[in-house]
Amino acid sequence: MSGSTRRDFLKTSALVGGGLMATDFLALTRAALAADPLPAMAIARWDEASLADADLALAAVGLTETAIAALGGMDRFVSEGDTVWVKPNIGWNRRPELAANTNPDVVGTLVRMCREAGAGSVKVGDHPCHPARQAYRNSGIAKAVEAAGGKMVYLDQKRYKDMPLGGEFLEKWPIYLEIVEADLVINVPIVKHHGLTKCSLAMKNYMGVIGGNRSTWHQNMAACVADITRFMQPKLTVLDAVRVLTDHGPQGGNLDDVDVRGIVAAGTDIVALDAFGATLLGHKPEEIGIVAAAAQSGLGTLDFASLNPVEKTLL
Amino acid sequence: MSVTSRARTIIWIRRTVQTMVLAGFLYLLTANRPADGAAPTAPVDLFFDLDPLAMVSTWLSTHTLAGVSLLGLLVLGVTLVFGRVFCGWFCPFGTLHNAVASLRAQFRSVVVRTEEFSRWQRTKYFIFIALLVMTALGAQWIGVLDPFSLLYRSVSLTVLPALDIAVSSAANGVYLSDPHLGPLHLRDLTEPVYRWWQDRVTATELRVFSGTGVIFLVFTAALLLNLVRNRFWCRYLCPLGGMLGLFAFRPLLRLTSDPAVCNSCLKCTLSCPAAAQPEKPGEWLSTECFGCWNCVSSCSNQGLDFQWFPPTRKTSTGDVDIGRRRAMASAVGGLAALSMMRITPAANAKTFNPDLIRPPGARAEPDFLQRCIKCGLCMQTCPSGGLQPTWAEAGLEGLWSPLLVPAIGWCEFECHACGQVCPTEAIMPLPLPEKKQVKIGLAVFDTTRCLPFAYGRECIVCEEHCPVPTKAIIFEMREVAGTDGVVRTLKIPRVIPELCTGCGICETKCVFKDQAAIRIVSANEDRHPANQPILTGGGMSGDPYDGGPYETTESESDEAKYGY
Repeated sequence: MSGSTRRDFLKTSALVGGGLMATDFLALTRAALAADPLPAMAIARWDEASLADADLALAAVGLTETAIAALGGMDRFVSEGDTVWVKPNIGWNRRPELAANTNPDVVGTLVRMCREAGAGSVKVGDHPCHPARQAYRNSGIAKAVEAAGGKMVYLDQKRYKDMPLGGEFLEKWPIYLEIVEADLVINVPIVKHHGLTKCSLAMKNYMGVIGGNRSTWHQNMAACVADITRFMQPKLTVLDAVRVLTDHGPQGGNLDDVDVRGIVAAGTDIVALDAFGATLLGHKPEEIGIVAAAAQSGLGTLDFASLNPVEKTLL
Repeated sequence: MSVTSRARTIIWIRRTVQTMVLAGFLYLLTANRPADGAAPTAPVDLFFDLDPLAMVSTWLSTHTLAGVSLLGLLVLGVTLVFGRVFCGWFCPFGTLHNAVASLRAQFRSVVVRTEEFSRWQRTKYFIFIALLVMTALGAQWIGVLDPFSLLYRSVSLTVLPALDIAVSSAANGVYLSDPHLGPLHLRDLTEPVYRWWQDRVTATELRVFSGTGVIFLVFTAALLLNLVRNRFWCRYLCPLGGMLGLFAFRPLLRLTSDPAVCNSCLKCTLSCPAAAQPEKPGEWLSTECFGCWNCVSSCSNQGLDFQWFPPTRKTSTGDVDIGRRRAMASAVGGLAALSMMRITPAANAKTFNPDLIRPPGARAEPDFLQRCIKCGLCMQTCPSGGLQPTWAEAGLEGLWSPLLVPAIGWCEFECHACGQVCPTEAIMPLPLPEKKQVKIGLAVFDTTRCLPFAYGRECIVCEEHCPVPTKAIIFEMREVAGTDGVVRTLKIPRVIPELCTGCGICETKCVFKDQAAIRIVSANEDRHPANQPILTGGGMSGDPYDGGPYETTESESDEAKYGY
């Protein structure tokens, strides 16, 4: 890794700490000012009976708008002039139909809503397993984001900085500086199967903000993902289950493994959303190591129903 | 218009053309990226299609026109009429030599002695003959010295990566240290430039190539030799220059001089980059002249001019006597070099190098080596940066030909760019669905390293990255005792040889970075039946190099590409 000096380290920590404190303070103020408590989770579903005939691109837009609106709108999360980093899963050089990457229309809609809420700049980027240029393009995400007024960012090898995770397992890890510097990171994973962890959902999606020898995380995935989740302090998570990958994940490649589900869920409790995502793949949340471990270390609740998610159905 | 001012205009036009062609060469080099994810869209191999040396040598070595561009004939036709204007007006390597040579006066005094014709200039013809004999007998070594190959290889594998390191270090330095004066941040200036550099020039993450020191040395030496003699490379060494020189034996446009006005001032000699003897009336050397018009412009008495002659007239040219014996000796030299390259176990299918992983669609090794001109287009376009130049892996005959080094980068599943850009179809232009089926090697486990096997730890990163839709790496649940003595049920990975294409992403992504616990070997490669350990119902050919599945593809793709 880049040899970062102690001075860098202190500077970064101060910067990160300061940034996080400022946003926390704002969020608290806003929450205190709000008359009614806003919902913590919303689930937008396309009516199952008409799903087969639906235009999935339009459906994805509508579902995303509905889910965010049900949470109280993007204004709840984005302030005037904010820099927002939208973090989809763009892990693979795969077409949208193969459900290996987040749905481009979901991502594009979020970018547009952030712009409408007054965001100064909306950046979108991931640390793909495949070459970034190809993955960004082939996933359809680059096109959708640029059309919505966002900016695709190619992560630079040298811009990961060692940061103190202070986790239960990991002490530090190189994390992408520009993402940490953003005022808000919106985590937008796709719901998919994963060979090792059974599911790849929102918390696992944070593997796209880290550098270093990421493969080593496979040796203790649940603990590592819990640590990065705590560090990232999730504010808004949007779960894309317009299409889900049911087998041969996380990159798939076979249309037979793709199920069209027509669901977008959003919320502030990332563990609850992952728990919900696990059920979409036919698992009990507690069966999924990552989700169970995160709940155990107090990052959120497995019992997403207890959050009384707002349910909306679209036709 | 006087002869001098006409010559000056022509020189001005020539410099413009040279600059534009060099810019075009560099533009096509940077455009050589799989833009739509699968292959580049620009005609990135245009210069190689125009290269008559590549054309003739590929035709001679393969005894077929398949994959041979006939555009090189155009250059030969132009040479028959105008002489070696290709060297003086077009060749981007020549232009680069011009640029370096123009610095010469800064370093040393330019004297007449170094600018007079030297018999050593015949060396390029001997090199050309030797290389031609080698290709005629099937060993394509032209690419090592072909100017386009040399330039492309050097720029894409050494100059561009060096520039990228410099640019990205500077940009990242500014970005991370963030020097600013109040609200004015330096990074606001550097970031757009860096973004442009990444989008338009490199269009990829930093890529570096192994064993490129020699490539860089050869390139630098070729350029620095301009300080010894003006355009040293073009005068003495270039095999394409030699070839074109033979075609410029009696061009229609020839230099004439008027002995009556010549005062032997030798300004023309000093201005001539080719040492073509403009100063000797009637002995001007058409085979050496680049048609640059410098001499015409330099003559104070307007005694020099280019004029049209019918091909039958012999006047106004001197003669570079190559000599039958020397030509024969060169041919014998080529034969000796060929023999030396061929008396290896690998060249006779006695052994197969496990590390010699050729790109998907590469022909069987002898056929591949007959075509590969070591230009580096495939390495430049490879999105993962895994295609690297060989050093010893393919023997001397295969020097600087492409091989996949999965420790560096893998063969991207949704990409077939290398076959699309290869100028000589050494790598065949397979359609993407077909390319996905091609086996270039096989993944094998090193169970003394692999975490579940050796240490009883969870991993299967290889399985996650395997791009085969139904997975060529599977896992089975097995009870394994860890190094801590605890027995765990672990996912133990296995390779299905019928499905594994040898793409290598498992090796690239393996947690072990010094030597991966899963590695690609050349075994099971489609192109060599003798190197296939796995028995299938398809049976096998007795010919060790019978790359069976490619046979039909070849004729189809040729038809599609060239209409025959």
